[in-house]
Amino acid sequence: MKKVIIEGLSYKYPLSSRLALEDISLTIEKGEFIGIVGKNLSGKTTLCQALVGLVPHFYHGGFRGKVEVAGMNTMNYSIAQLAEKIGLVFQNPFNQISGSKLTVYEEVAFGLENLGISRPEMIERTENVLKLLDIYHLKDRNPFEISGGQMQRLAIASIVALKPEVIILDEPTSQLDPQGTNEVFRAVNQLKEQGITIIMVEHKVEKLAAYADKIILMSEGKIVDYDRPSNIFARSDLKKLGVKTPIFIQALQSLGLDKKYPGGLPVTLEDTYKLVVKEYGNDQN
Amino acid sequence: MEMIKIKNLTFSYQGQTPVLKDISLSFGNSPTAIIGQNGAGKTTLVKLLKGLLKPTSGDILIQGRNTKEYSAATLSRNIGLIFQNPNDQIFKNRVLDEVMFGPLNLKYSIKEARKKSLEALKLVQMEDKIDCNPYDLSLAERKLISIASILSMEPEIVIFDEPTIAQDYHGIELIKELIKKLSKEGKLVITITHDMDFVTEAFSRAIILRDGSVILDGTIREVFSKPDLLRKSFLEQPHITQLGEKLNLAQTILSLEEFIQYFTTVS
Amino acid sequence: MKSISLYVDLDSPLHRLDPLTKISYTLVFMLIPFLIPLKSITLICLGLTLSLLWLGRVIKHIVPIISFSLFLLFTIFLIQGLFHPANEKVAFSILGLTFYQEGLEYALGLSLRFINLLCCTSIIILATKPSDLIQSLVRRGLSPRFGYVMSSVLQIIPQMSNTTQVILDAQKSRGMETEGNLFVRAKAYIPLLAPLVMSSLVSANDRSLALEVRAFNAQRKRTFLSEEKVTFTALIFRFLIFFSFISSIVWRLKQ
Repeated sequence: MKKVIIEGLSYKYPLSSRLALEDISLTIEKGEFIGIVGKNLSGKTTLCQALVGLVPHFYHGGFRGKVEVAGMNTMNYSIAQLAEKIGLVFQNPFNQISGSKLTVYEEVAFGLENLGISRPEMIERTENVLKLLDIYHLKDRNPFEISGGQMQRLAIASIVALKPEVIILDEPTSQLDPQGTNEVFRAVNQLKEQGITIIMVEHKVEKLAAYADKIILMSEGKIVDYDRPSNIFARSDLKKLGVKTPIFIQALQSLGLDKKYPGGLPVTLEDTYKLVVKEYGNDQN
Repeated sequence: MEMIKIKNLTFSYQGQTPVLKDISLSFGNSPTAIIGQNGAGKTTLVKLLKGLLKPTSGDILIQGRNTKEYSAATLSRNIGLIFQNPNDQIFKNRVLDEVMFGPLNLKYSIKEARKKSLEALKLVQMEDKIDCNPYDLSLAERKLISIASILSMEPEIVIFDEPTIAQDYHGIELIKELIKKLSKEGKLVITITHDMDFVTEAFSRAIILRDGSVILDGTIREVFSKPDLLRKSFLEQPHITQLGEKLNLAQTILSLEEFIQYFTTVS
Repeated sequence: MKSISLYVDLDSPLHRLDPLTKISYTLVFMLIPFLIPLKSITLICLGLTLSLLWLGRVIKHIVPIISFSLFLLFTIFLIQGLFHPANEKVAFSILGLTFYQEGLEYALGLSLRFINLLCCTSIIILATKPSDLIQSLVRRGLSPRFGYVMSSVLQIIPQMSNTTQVILDAQKSRGMETEGNLFVRAKAYIPLLAPLVMSSLVSANDRSLALEVRAFNAQRKRTFLSEEKVTFTALIFRFLIFFSFISSIVWRLKQ
């Protein structure tokens, strides 16, 4: 079942002269984990904003094409209506806290209050989501007084509480330390296991490659490629496009193994290890 | 002369538990990375080096000058700090003016300040943007402007606070080149970072801070060959090192080149 | 600093009373001494308010508020005692200045009403949680957007002071002196303003995007996590307040 269908999407911000997105077309199936990579200003954030309706409803500007999420055409629904189907988590954990609530618990319930969810259901969803994101022990704390990783998990929890079918995360770990980063990836993976479709923009390609089913490679507002990680990250033009090749692939390429396995190289630590062992035998000492 | 000498430094905010406990360190010219989880005291240490905070006890000598005796503004002649968020310092509406702010504060003539600023902008490859309004540039470009505005003051010691956040591949490569160039000129480069790949690719010394104390201080090779200690400090090894560890290789691999070298000599 | 307010976080019968009842009390009992300008009435209102504040265990927090106004009250006594138009009977003389009875009595009336005003508003300021108050208003028709602006301001402004410190550090690091004479210190503010405004605007923009995707602008009826418990006692209390208000108006009209 297709959760996201984009056809011929082009978009230009109001005061800009160039197209931020040019002729984008793609589909995403339910339950997939899609990564988006590309250099800065390649259109990744704009694409995320187009999926939740911020483009065009918040920014206005020139919009062409069709974006359909969980069966809803974003042109015909408000951002608030789309919020029940698709959610977006931003880069800066701090600026996602509403500021109007004094506890983590209330902060999560904020979106549910906006949607007019009944109080018993509000409580049930809030409790579940706090436990899912492992921040239940923080429920009475002030949202501004928790760590960056915890704040980002709070932001994710606030979105998951709305029960969207698709969740987009735009560089969610860029401001976090390694521990916070791992916490977020672990939380997102759990969401995937619950059947939620995940779209994530990331620069940490090694981590992304380990979790993603497919990768969208963007450059200058266009989609350059949309394929499995092993194919995308084996491309020779990644450096030119401003994307880092995962170090594992670099290692295997340097050993000449890309020629031996043209069908695609492993992208994770585990799989790379297995391949090297297979090629070079076991006695590395 | 030692660039920086820290003697028995202890620091706590008013009446609270010490953030830094009895730290003693010396710095020469080797580019050094200070790593550790959030809350370990890295930012506090760097603020103390800059003179923005004064030690509760102990001393910090920046090129022989004790930070207790000078204001942060005066110390900026010797030691520069590039803050994480460029939006926290940019206030001029022309890039060149922004970069000239620092040298003008150091009482250079307008002509000299301009010359130093142009050189600094050339180092970050932003020389074609001198008349632009900084707010019209992207976040990554503004980050480079903030780097230039410190380099134009020509300090002997340059500290980067999380330089790789929000930078793409190209931006990170630029910063790595910059660090190499500065080190070659004899300047001391220090960074706070979470990016372990960045650390091994651009620095020769690493200091791990945990709960306000120095857990480990040594060469990159020494520090990253201790996965257990790193894990206890909530840090990871660089990815290529993790691969080397998993394969049980005879030596700690710190870079792709070492990996290739190992395999070409062994097989 | 978590949020800017003078609210004293306790559990007391006064705290547990719902915000609307407290607002009605404050408004009515601030007005009654003006509707019925008898000092006896003002003293009764003041006594009632002080008892409520005592019940709410916040009465000691009134002291700084009242002390601040002592100077103002003193000048009222001074001016009215000396220069009130209806001054005739002499009260006393000090240092060659003559104070008259009518003026002093008038000043007393004014001061009592003023202190009553402070105490009534303290019931809101000291014993009502700002978020409960705002929510109470939103439930009854205040625009949720306006309610959000009011409640977020209390927390976001202290956060801005953190940002100001960071900006100050950044500019000091570039050689800007902040210590010295007044001129030097005043000059130091200029490089603070633009980054502060910019970062506030950027945060505000980011925050409005985050609010949008949490359905802030949904066209539906809002629900609330907390329940507003209006007890039977509160209802009786509201009735009494209403009764007092009507009686005062009737008395006034009869004059």
